[in-house]
Amino acid sequence: MKFFTKYSLLLILAFSSLSFQQLQNYDSNAKVKAVFLYNFTRYFEWPEKMKSGNFIINVIGNNANLNQELNKMASSKQVGNQKLEIKSSSGIDASLQPHIIFLLNESSDLLKEISAKYKGKGSLIVTEKSGLAKLGAAINFVVADNKQRFEYSKTNAVKAGLKTSDELKSLAIAVD
Amino acid sequence: MLTISKPYHYLKSIFCFLLMIVCHNHYAQSELLFDAQKLCTEKKYDQAIPLLEKIIIDPQTKGDPASWHIRSYAYIQSYKLAGQYNISKISLLDTAMNSALTSMKLDTAKNYVEENNSFVKFGASSYFKISAILLQDSLNTVKSEFYYAKYKKYTTIINPTFDFKQKDIEYYNTTGSIFADKYMKNNFSQKYGDIAKAALLKVLDIDNKNISANINLGILYYNQGATLMRMMDYDVDLAQLDVIQENAKKLFKQSLPFMIKVYELDPKAEKALESLQGIYSALLDDEKANEFKLKKEALNKQ
Repeated sequence: MKFFTKYSLLLILAFSSLSFQQLQNYDSNAKVKAVFLYNFTRYFEWPEKMKSGNFIINVIGNNANLNQELNKMASSKQVGNQKLEIKSSSGIDASLQPHIIFLLNESSDLLKEISAKYKGKGSLIVTEKSGLAKLGAAINFVVADNKQRFEYSKTNAVKAGLKTSDELKSLAIAVD
Repeated sequence: MLTISKPYHYLKSIFCFLLMIVCHNHYAQSELLFDAQKLCTEKKYDQAIPLLEKIIIDPQTKGDPASWHIRSYAYIQSYKLAGQYNISKISLLDTAMNSALTSMKLDTAKNYVEENNSFVKFGASSYFKISAILLQDSLNTVKSEFYYAKYKKYTTIINPTFDFKQKDIEYYNTTGSIFADKYMKNNFSQKYGDIAKAALLKVLDIDNKNISANINLGILYYNQGATLMRMMDYDVDLAQLDVIQENAKKLFKQSLPFMIKVYELDPKAEKALESLQGIYSALLDDEKANEFKLKKEALNKQ
C-alpha cells in the first residue's frame, strides 16, 4: 500500500499540468468580412475623381472587432496606389466621400437616406441585413450554410455610379 | 575380507578427481557471488557488475535466482547513482528489470519473492515518471508512450488485476493537455494539434463521458478552425476564401459534438456554455450563440 501511496503522489506531480484549454478569442467573421471588402475593390471601378487620395471605407455602426480587423488590413494593404483608410461613425458623415460605405445591421435603417444621398457619387453601399440588396444596397452580406456569402445587385451598383464586373455575379447570390 | 579390485580403485580416483574439480569450481563461483555481494554492500556497484556478468553466464550459477537478484540490485543502485530518472542511463534500469524477472522465474523456492517484487515496483514507478518527463519534450511522445507501456507491463507483474483505466485516462488527458498547450504557444502548429487530438480521442475511447477530454477536444477543433481564419491573408481571392471558410466550418462543426456532450453531462458547466456560444458564433448561427450567451449569464446570476 505504501507503494501505491507514493505512486499517487507521483501521479499528482506528473499530471499537475492537466488543464482546460482556452477558446481562441477571435472573431473570424470580422476577418471574413474584411477579406470580402478588400476583394470588392477588385471588382468595381470607381469614378476618376476618386482614384486619388486615400481609399476610404466608412463603417456605420459599432463593431469593435471589425474595426480592429479593417485597421489591421489598412496597415498592410492598399488599393492600387491608394492607401486604405477606415472611418467609423454612428451615422452619416456629410464631410466624407467614402469609396465603400458599410452599414452594419444596427444602422440598416439609414439605407434609404444613404442611397439617396450618395446616388451616382461612386460609393459602394454594403449592408448585412436580409432583403437590403433589394432596397438599395449593391452588396448585402448573408449567411448561407454556416458561411458568409453575399448578395449582389448590379442595378444598385450602377445606380451608385460604379462600373461593375460581371465576374462578381458568378461569385455572388444574384438578386437582379 | 573385502578386497578392492584395481579397476574400482581406478574409478574411485577419477570420481574423486572430478568431485574435486566440481567442488572447486562451485566454490569458485560461490566465492565470486560472495565477492559481488560484498562489493554491493560496500556500494562499489561498478566493480560488482563485471563479476555479476560472469556469474550469470556461468553454467554453475546462471540458474541461481540469487545471481540474478543481486545483479538486479546492483543495476538498480547504479541507475539511482546516475541520477534518478536519468533518461540516458535507462539501459541500467532495463537490465535491472530483466534480471529481476529472470530471478523471479528461477526462484521456485520463493526465497526472493518480496525483494524481487520491490525491485519491479521500483522499475514500474521509474518508468512511469520517465514517461511523464518525456511528455514535456515534443520530440519524445513516442518514447513516452513506450515507457508508459513498460510501467503498465511491470505493474501488471506485481498486481495482475490492476485496473489501468483511470491511469490511462490521466496519462492521455495529460498528453492531450500538454500538446494542446504547445499547439497554442507554437503558432498553432498542426503537428502539436494532431498529437493532442490523438491522445484525447484515446481518453474518449476509454470513457466517452470524460469532461476534460471532451472540452479540450472541442476547443482544439474550434481553435484549428479559428487559426485557419486568422492565418488567412487579406488578399486571398473569393474562391480561396470560400474554400477556407468551408474548411474552418468543418472544424467548427467537429468541435460541436464534444462541447454538446459536456453540456449534456453538466448543463451548468460554464466552460461548455461559453464555448458553445463561441462555436455557434463562428458558425454564424447567432440565434444559438445568443441562447448559450443567455444561459451563461443566467448561470452567473445564480
